[in-house]
Amino acid sequence: MRGLAEAFRGRPGPIVAATLIVLLVVYAFVLPLVTADPFSMSGMSILDAFSPPIWMDGGQATMPFGADDQGRNLITAMAYGLRTSIMVGAISVVIGLVIGGALGLVAGFVGGRTDAIIMRLADVQLAYPALLLAMVIDGIATAILGRGRSNEMAIAIVIVSIGIAFWVQYARTIRSSVMVERDQDYVAAARVTGRSNTAILIQHILPNVMAPVLVIATINLGIAIITEATLSFLGIGIPPTYPSLGSLIRNGNNFLQSGEWWISVFPCLLLVALVVAVNVLGDHLRDHFNPKIRGRT
Amino acid sequence: MIAHTTERILQTVLVLLAISFIAFLLVATLGDPLTSLLPPDASIADRQDLIMRLGLDEPLLTRFLHFLNGMLHGDFGISYRTQDDIGPMIATRLPATIELAFASLLVTLFVGVPLGILCGVRPNGIISRGVMLVSIAGITLPNFVVGVLLIAIFSVHLGWFPSFGRGDTVQIGGWTTGLLTLSGWRAIILPAITLAAFQVTFVIRMLRTQLLEVGQSEHIRFARARGLSERRIWSTYAMRNALLPTITMLALQLGNVIAFSVVTEGVFAWPGIGSLFLQSIQAADVPVIAIYLIFVGAIFMIINLVVELIYPLVDPRLKRSGA
Amino acid sequence: MSEPVLKVRDLSVVLERNGRDFPVLDGVTFDIAPGEVLGLVGESGAGKSMTGIAIIDLLVPPLRRTSGTIALSGERLDQLSAKRMRRVRGKRIGFVFQDPMTSLNPVLSIGRQLTDTMRRHLPLTRGEARERAIAWLTRVGLANPPRVFAAAPHELSGGQRQRIVIALALCAEPDLLIADEPTTALDVSVQAHMLTLLRELHEETGTAMMLITHDLGVIAKMADRVAVFYAGRVIETAPTGRLIGAPLHPYTAGLMQATPAPDADGAMRVRAIPGAMPGIGALPPGCAFHPRCERAQAICREERPPLADAGGHDAACYFPLVEEVVS
Repeated sequence: MRGLAEAFRGRPGPIVAATLIVLLVVYAFVLPLVTADPFSMSGMSILDAFSPPIWMDGGQATMPFGADDQGRNLITAMAYGLRTSIMVGAISVVIGLVIGGALGLVAGFVGGRTDAIIMRLADVQLAYPALLLAMVIDGIATAILGRGRSNEMAIAIVIVSIGIAFWVQYARTIRSSVMVERDQDYVAAARVTGRSNTAILIQHILPNVMAPVLVIATINLGIAIITEATLSFLGIGIPPTYPSLGSLIRNGNNFLQSGEWWISVFPCLLLVALVVAVNVLGDHLRDHFNPKIRGRT
Repeated sequence: MIAHTTERILQTVLVLLAISFIAFLLVATLGDPLTSLLPPDASIADRQDLIMRLGLDEPLLTRFLHFLNGMLHGDFGISYRTQDDIGPMIATRLPATIELAFASLLVTLFVGVPLGILCGVRPNGIISRGVMLVSIAGITLPNFVVGVLLIAIFSVHLGWFPSFGRGDTVQIGGWTTGLLTLSGWRAIILPAITLAAFQVTFVIRMLRTQLLEVGQSEHIRFARARGLSERRIWSTYAMRNALLPTITMLALQLGNVIAFSVVTEGVFAWPGIGSLFLQSIQAADVPVIAIYLIFVGAIFMIINLVVELIYPLVDPRLKRSGA
Repeated sequence: MSEPVLKVRDLSVVLERNGRDFPVLDGVTFDIAPGEVLGLVGESGAGKSMTGIAIIDLLVPPLRRTSGTIALSGERLDQLSAKRMRRVRGKRIGFVFQDPMTSLNPVLSIGRQLTDTMRRHLPLTRGEARERAIAWLTRVGLANPPRVFAAAPHELSGGQRQRIVIALALCAEPDLLIADEPTTALDVSVQAHMLTLLRELHEETGTAMMLITHDLGVIAKMADRVAVFYAGRVIETAPTGRLIGAPLHPYTAGLMQATPAPDADGAMRVRAIPGAMPGIGALPPGCAFHPRCERAQAICREERPPLADAGGHDAACYFPLVEEVVS
């Protein structure tokens, strides 16, 4: 933790980014506690439909960013959407980390044929960009589970799709770290003294991979949030009946032509603010820890 | 050298076979082609007929060989969604995607390369700093957000360009082109910019880094000490060294470009392969998804292979001498 | 005595760091007569190479020339516009860099680099340039010149490349050749050949030469006159024979005891004298050499000795060695 505090000394950019992230998280998780869900009947008021932002003619003080076609107050709807996007992003990163971590550990420790199979699988997967892969996995899940899926099911599918799409980087990082450590004398010594593999792992390998994995996870969080938004925007992620930044933008996009630009543009800007903040933070962490992460562009 | 080439080609073929097999397994195990392809009131005989026609009663490996053999002969299977042959489906949509890719490549060349050179040659100029600042947006903005914002500004607000479709198209042989009509050109501009946003940023940043690096090298200093003009030094002596890695890196980004083309086609309702892929995902049309996967994988792997094999021929630094 | 080819007076260069200027060259002064070979000798970081780069005006930030006049056959180079200066580089002053492995553009053929350089400065057609390029390749002793002409740098050895670098520096027939450690990066077996080549070319063309080296052996073989550098200053200058026979400055004497001992990496330190040359920004007051000098007195610690003009053998020292050597 001291390393983390050290990482921020005297750097305004990352500090602003970190502050912005905290503010956005507070907005996303506190506002929904005190307002009615705009995606339930009680949260909408059809009379307010297409109410413009506060500074335009007909704008209302209670709806600073206006309202959408169903009369949902955008400032509330965006908080709900942001909450979904952050949670989907975070959980999918964890899933990717768990899958990648497990496969990387196994590949590194067992080696041999198991290692070869896992790493070839990683190679094949790298032929496809994560976004495309998430789309395909989403489509396949739909094919397996049928089309009549609930909101919860759709969200779960999105999370898993993105998570699976991102495992390779973690697996590679952790595998190489394990391989380096595996042959160290102290690991052999620990084995001889009867320590279990798990104990060796936790004590020796975990500290080595923490920094690079944290950096990859932060950068991937940004990508995961974009991926969710993209999928939902394209109508293959979270359905328009459930708020996420992507589904809000998709819904608003229907009214872009008729002049109600705010319904899509504000969620767009919110998404951009979140992603830029996470990226700035990720880049900074990467530069600070400067781990040997394969260059990602 | 030859052994290495052969080995790499073999590896590529093996990976492509693996991808094809995974794709085939998807088709073979997911969804029920009989219910998808047959009307609800189909007779037992109809069912039996279709099973025979699709070879569903044969063992898995035989079916995979049939699948491969079919692909080699242009038979890509049948879409569950439209019940059409997938081959012609792709063929009719291919021109739209290729023209979009071509247009975005033009944008990349005429915007990205000059700006990249400017940023590399005059890294501290005001324009360069501005370009670098904007390029951060190009990297972080999600592709579809770029599209939505472009539509909001240039299509809705200014009314300059249409927000969807290809405009009027002309049929030339088997190729439908939008590049021969004014409305076609107007329609391609916004999608091309959207798709190019990533590549332009990438090229600017790569070229800048490369030129900055080359600009500090000893051989450029020696060229200056020989009195060569700055123009000649940058245009020939530095650019030759910087362009090659840039093009290579861009070629290796092809996978991302393909993914972004799906998004761009989705945003602008561009009737290309990307839209077809999106519709197939929405409809869980597994055969089309599978073919698309193979298609993308093949393009990606082949480009990778070509870059890797050609690079040493183009760059004399890597040429293997006889020794 | 005729007008010197190169006349450098009071040349000073600073390195800017955190808004402060640190001297790198301080009041460097010397002449090179037509057809003369002047050797600049000193340890790594003494300012020899910096002097060469400053003469052709290729210093890049954070390095900057702060004072001094540089005259080439009477023409003030320090007052030339950047554009006119580009006509001087290559055309009137040729420059040979230290490392032939990095001096050549890796993606252009040898012929292209030669003809580009010649056609920049001389009115030649493509065909004539090619002919001359091949003549130059022959002249610098390369076998099979047409093949070398078409070759890329990586196909050639270090020695071959350095011959090409020399051809590139001389191909527009300059009045002055500055050679910065032309042999340091080469195999020992190739070094002698390269010196012989430089000597021959010098005699054939009559070009004046400024030879930068840390190796007094090279100086003895090549130079007519020597300027010894220490911590950014010229501390002694004399005809080669006199300097080697009877050095005045204690540093020069120490330098000679250390010869020949060029390190593989060229970063030669004079081990015969205790201590090390002060780095940039760490110059002591007075004579820069006094902390290492056995003969230092109070005045050496307080006042900087000037380069005394003593009829061709000058030294910047209050207590030169001359009497001892004589006695």
